[in-house]
Amino acid sequence: MDNLTAADQILAPVDASDFAPSQESGQVTLAALTKRYGTRADDPIAVNAVDLHIKAGEFVTLLGPSGCGKTSTLRMIAGFETPSSGHVSVDGVDMVSVAPNKRPMSMVFQSYALFPHLTVRQNVAYGLRLKKTSEKRLREEVDTALTIMNLMPYAERAPHQLSGGQQQRVALARALVMRPKVLLFDEPLSNLDAKLRVQMRNEIRRLQKRLGITSVFVTHDQDEAMTLSDRIVVMNQGRIEQIDTPDRVYRRPSSIFVADFIGRANFLDATVLTDPVNGRARVFALGRERDVEVHQDVNLESEVLLMVRPESVLLTPNPAADTVHGEVGRVLSAIFHGESVEYEVETDTGSIVALVSDPSVSDIFEPMDTVSVGIKPDRGWLLPVPVLA
Amino acid sequence: MAIPLLESPASDKARGVRTPGKRRGKGAKDPAVIVLTTIVCAILLLIIGFPLFGLLSSAFGPKGLEVLGRIVSDPVNHRIVGNTMLLGLVVGVSGTLVGFLFAYAQVKIKFRGKRALHLLAMIPIVAPPFAVATAVITLFGRNGAITNGIFGWQADIYGLPGLTLVLSLSFFPVAYMNIRGMLESLDPSLDEAAAGLGASKLRVFFTVTIPMLVPGLAGSFLLLFVESIADLANPLVLGGDYTVLASRAYLAVTGEFNMQAGAAYSLTLMLPALLVFLVQRYWVSRKSVVSITGKPAGATEQITAPSIRIPILTIVGLLAALIVSIYVTVLAGGFLKVPGVNNEFTLAHYQFVMAGLGSKAMIDTTILALIAAPIAGLLGMLIGWLVVRKLKRASGLIDFVGMLGLAVPGTVLGIGYLISYNTPMKIFGLQVFPALAGGSAILAGAVAIVMVYVARSLPSGQRAAVSALQQIHPAIEEASTSLGADSATTFRKVTLPLIQSALLTGLTFAFARSMTTLSPIIFLTTPGIKIMTSQILAEVDSGRFGNAFAYCTVLIGIVLTVILILNVIIRKVVFRGQSHRR
Repeated sequence: MDNLTAADQILAPVDASDFAPSQESGQVTLAALTKRYGTRADDPIAVNAVDLHIKAGEFVTLLGPSGCGKTSTLRMIAGFETPSSGHVSVDGVDMVSVAPNKRPMSMVFQSYALFPHLTVRQNVAYGLRLKKTSEKRLREEVDTALTIMNLMPYAERAPHQLSGGQQQRVALARALVMRPKVLLFDEPLSNLDAKLRVQMRNEIRRLQKRLGITSVFVTHDQDEAMTLSDRIVVMNQGRIEQIDTPDRVYRRPSSIFVADFIGRANFLDATVLTDPVNGRARVFALGRERDVEVHQDVNLESEVLLMVRPESVLLTPNPAADTVHGEVGRVLSAIFHGESVEYEVETDTGSIVALVSDPSVSDIFEPMDTVSVGIKPDRGWLLPVPVLA
Repeated sequence: MAIPLLESPASDKARGVRTPGKRRGKGAKDPAVIVLTTIVCAILLLIIGFPLFGLLSSAFGPKGLEVLGRIVSDPVNHRIVGNTMLLGLVVGVSGTLVGFLFAYAQVKIKFRGKRALHLLAMIPIVAPPFAVATAVITLFGRNGAITNGIFGWQADIYGLPGLTLVLSLSFFPVAYMNIRGMLESLDPSLDEAAAGLGASKLRVFFTVTIPMLVPGLAGSFLLLFVESIADLANPLVLGGDYTVLASRAYLAVTGEFNMQAGAAYSLTLMLPALLVFLVQRYWVSRKSVVSITGKPAGATEQITAPSIRIPILTIVGLLAALIVSIYVTVLAGGFLKVPGVNNEFTLAHYQFVMAGLGSKAMIDTTILALIAAPIAGLLGMLIGWLVVRKLKRASGLIDFVGMLGLAVPGTVLGIGYLISYNTPMKIFGLQVFPALAGGSAILAGAVAIVMVYVARSLPSGQRAAVSALQQIHPAIEEASTSLGADSATTFRKVTLPLIQSALLTGLTFAFARSMTTLSPIIFLTTPGIKIMTSQILAEVDSGRFGNAFAYCTVLIGIVLTVILILNVIIRKVVFRGQSHRR
């Protein structure tokens, strides 16, 4: 597949249950957690009354644009920041009064933060040595961690002699060997190149599933969040916008912000025609009446937008013959991506982006072609337009 | 679950205005940090705070106020203040100019022998304060080997001209290092951009290079100003009747036995020194337009154009020749019966310094400096670490107090020690500790001398630590915390090994500074403890230049040897790993 040798495989197929937490533990609870930098009332609030309960063994990602408060939240869990108010607790034990070095957590850093003056083995052994572990046990534990992360061949090297991916595995081994109740990840993959990042995140996911360690992962990369998480916490301006499974966050975002931040979306003008019943309502959008799922805040009077992902847009030739699907549009541009073609189509409703996967050669539209624009069944999601304060 | 109230609004308020991001991660709940901060504060209070407080209370006591009043009203005192300021201005300008020429030649001009020129510029740092002055008298004085011996002049170099020459040659390395650093970090693409727009080399120099360097030049000027108004050694030897505040304060204490007058003159000297230091620290350093990224800014194109090269190299060459002749005189003078007058070879001076009556000074000084250097070096690292990483509100204050040892003139510090520590310290009649300075002090006053050494040499290590730490990613220390280490363990096992080169710099400067410092020591030597610098002063005063030169050479030799050994020990034994930056 690529030029990785056996030793470069990310993880060895060793039974890693050694490092699993001893019992079902590692529940993390954040209650009204708030961080305010500065003291004046108009200073921005980095983290604003965040409530979150993370189940034992769950993988939760904090996702959001830079400055949304995700890193501050993580650092408060770790103890590197003191909350302005609110609580962090692990298994019901309040953590705010516990010094960061006494918390049952280990952190993996974006910059890896390996100790440059120590070898790989010494890096991994660092924390255990502080715990006064016996020399024999220390050796066993470190060997196991190195083996799991497939780092044995590099045990005596200095960090700067390793590649970025290897360094990150050392950082992970160093965190795992402490048997933390909670693993904290601060954008650990953002310094890796694209291919390695994908590989590494799959391995992190597999390892985490195997060990069942509660994990909190901070990232601004939605792909990472989607593929890694049991649940995603989308944050914006210090507040939580949505806590949901990756599937829900993508298909049924709670707000226009989330819809726009996760993936790409068309927002089409729409009018609500009937009161929602069982989460569905009739709307008029894209040239005809449709039956769509609606956000809970939508009612008959709501100003709304219909979210349609580009891959949910249906383009058909011969608009004259098509009265079912919707509106007539004109292709403005067609960009060939390989596995898909991306079109920009101009309609009476506005400009719409459509993504057609695996198109056959004869099906590719050209600019200025006339097409019929529709929506695949059950793909639309009606969102209320936020009322401007 | 019972949820305690985490932080009262008061403590929130007390945290002060913080910039988000910049000061992240300074959760100061760690008991180790509190303990270390307390220790650091206590040491700073003892070695700097308390003596300065003693000086101030003495200067503002009834007798001190009387002298302060005379300084304001008496024309004699006006002249002394005027002399001091004039000396500061002249040396500030000329020393900066010499430093600039050396730095510019070093960085920008193509010639052979750069390394030699660099070493030459660094010698004054390890040389004791009298070496240059005594050699200049021998070469260019009334009976100077050159002025009288070759040209037959009866030159008078005592007073302002001689002081300017000697102080400029002694202090220019500060300017040289400062400006060289700036020149090296100047992005050469700026020069290229200007040249690409059609500017000649000369035009580039005046319209790009010089404006970019203005903050560096201003900073160097101010540092030299402070150094030269604070200097005591050279005005004593070369001043003649050109009295400055430092020598006036010395006279008041040692000649008139009037401590309060000494304190009052010291205060007058301290004010401009502190003012200039503050300006340098908080204003000039912020005006810097040179962006220091920590990365080498590409290879600088070296100037070969004769219109710039020839004049600058000529001047630099002449200055270098002057410096060489001065240090050759120091070196050779120790072997001559009466240097410059009776040039017969003799080993008597070295006999005196290394084996005879003078050897006690050599041993005492080296031992005390060896005690002080590690204390100052470690303290500097510790302060740097607390300031950069751990403290919020207090960091500015602690950093400032640590730097005071450099900013406060040595004379002032010495008199402050004399006032504060020559009697046992009592609080409510209880003796806290015995007298530390003066003849009746414990260990013959050695404690006070070590304290002064630490105070004087702390700032260089502290600065080195601060800049080294700013280059280490905070996540490395957070990783250690996350793995269960408390702050003290993190400092010992992670931070200290990573800033070892700063520690080396700190130790080196601490030792060199301790060995060469005179102005505070001169007030603190006792019959029981002899210090080389003050012995040199005594020898010069009584005209035994040969002994003085021998002392100077031995002192330089000791400093260089210890620096060499320190390098070997620290690089090879203590930390085997290489220093590593972000």
